[in-house]
Amino acid sequence: MTRMTNYNIKQYLLSYTPVILLFISVLNEFDFNYLGIKYFSFNFSYILIFYYSVKKSESLGYGLIFIAGLFNDVVLGMPLGISSLMYLLICGFAAYLRNITLRPSLTKDWIFFLITISVVNSFLYSILTVIFLFKVDYFYYVTNTMFTFFIYFIFSYIFSFFGNKIIGKINA
Amino acid sequence: MESGSRDDFVIAIRSAFLKKGNQQRFSLLGLIFFSLIFLILGSFNFKVIDYIKIGIKEIAYRSSLIVSVPENLIKNSFFKVDDHFNHYKDYQKIKYELNFLKSKDLSKTISNLENIKLKKLIDDYFITDNEIFAKVLIDKQSPFLKSVILNKGSRDNIKLGMAVLDGIHLVGKVVEVNYLTSRVLLLSDINAKIPVSLEPGDIQAIMSGTGKNNGILQYTKEPDSGKNNEDILVFTSGAGGLFKSGIPIGIIKKEKNLTSKEKIVDFGIDFSQLKYVKILSFSKVDSYTFEPAKEEIKAINKQLAEMKMAKETVKILLEEKNIFKETRKKIEEENSLLKKKIINLQNKISISDKTIKKYDEQINNAKFFELNSLYGKRCKKTFYNNLYKVGTKEYRDCILNKGLKN
Repeated sequence: MTRMTNYNIKQYLLSYTPVILLFISVLNEFDFNYLGIKYFSFNFSYILIFYYSVKKSESLGYGLIFIAGLFNDVVLGMPLGISSLMYLLICGFAAYLRNITLRPSLTKDWIFFLITISVVNSFLYSILTVIFLFKVDYFYYVTNTMFTFFIYFIFSYIFSFFGNKIIGKINA
Repeated sequence: MESGSRDDFVIAIRSAFLKKGNQQRFSLLGLIFFSLIFLILGSFNFKVIDYIKIGIKEIAYRSSLIVSVPENLIKNSFFKVDDHFNHYKDYQKIKYELNFLKSKDLSKTISNLENIKLKKLIDDYFITDNEIFAKVLIDKQSPFLKSVILNKGSRDNIKLGMAVLDGIHLVGKVVEVNYLTSRVLLLSDINAKIPVSLEPGDIQAIMSGTGKNNGILQYTKEPDSGKNNEDILVFTSGAGGLFKSGIPIGIIKKEKNLTSKEKIVDFGIDFSQLKYVKILSFSKVDSYTFEPAKEEIKAINKQLAEMKMAKETVKILLEEKNIFKETRKKIEEENSLLKKKIINLQNKISISDKTIKKYDEQINNAKFFELNSLYGKRCKKTFYNNLYKVGTKEYRDCILNKGLKN
């Protein structure tokens, strides 16, 4: 009985790992700026949302993504609702990709991810500069997009490993 | 065909945005609209949005503090490691700088100590005890007497022999004191004799006036010791105790120094332009003999001696190092020369050995031939004896033994 309870708790916690990671990333903003590498930054939330929306859409609820977006806005001091909008757009793109994909392939996902984050970041840049009159470093957004795109490849392997080896083992 | 793919696209889009996925409680499109409403209302500073924002802030800031703990831990560890590496670099840099400064510091300390000592000697020996400013009343430039009359006399404590200065330069000394006025004998007067010191070189001399607007060195301790290729500065030497040492008087220019044998001193000021002067008297204070001062100077002297000794030691060590280096170089050169000589000699010896061997062989052969003619019969094999065949080693040995020996 105890064994069953432990197993359930573990499984329950592991199933919520993407959500926990999402909230940690929005609250913490870990971007490795302290490494002192110039212009190096990437958006972990985008990678996480896109990956889990494509591969395991049931792991990340849209409602939670929406709330995470609100938290992100508050932490970064951006207009309330803008990050939620971006995150949900990524979810939309991912859902579209999921619907049209017959044979999943990492390369296709990767290319589609580049298109997605480019559109989303362009949209974000436009809203911030045109509507809210924010002064935004365009170069920062471009480099951020590029690094996010490159790092997606690594994280997709990590998430895949996590899903197959750890969660898979527990479920087995 | 085209309309078919468009239909697929529309279906996929509709499915993505409108259809609720597995285990999704909210529609994506609904939430996007909700976000847009947040954005629009927020841009109009809608109160409800502000309250939500405040509420989220309260939760987010507190949560952020907790969530940041692991990352802060990693960050701090990273900074620590980075600091350690930087400390090593800094240490190397500081070590190099310290060595560099240490070498400089020795000379600087010696200069400083010498400076302190000299200052003490000068300042403690004489002090200015009376300083009066006076106006030049009469400036009659008589050809016989170069003097000026001042508007201060014995009423203002002017005394005979007091020094008169214009700015920092010495003008002359008081030679006549009245109740309200006094007369100053200028340095340019032919009767003015001042003990002076020449720099560089610290040469002592007596300067006399010429009756013109300059002076002349009458007696120098070392007549030719002044370097002719630079200007010489003239100061009071303080000898005789009338003036404090180190008051500037004038300059001996190098052009004049080279051309004339007489050392002409150009005064620092023009005596025909005097308006206000300063009258000073110096009194000798025996503070130099005070015990604390004496002790201090003793300590400085000791320190100086130690420093100089250290400097000398360093100099000697450096010279020794150079000598050792040169000696080593010479020894190495000699060594290589000797090696070459040895090789040559070995070659010569081997050649000689070969020649000697050859000569020995020739001698042996000659001896053999000589003995062969005498003892050949005793060793040669014939039909009736069993001796040695001609040409064999045994035959040769037999011949050399002068026949067969039993």
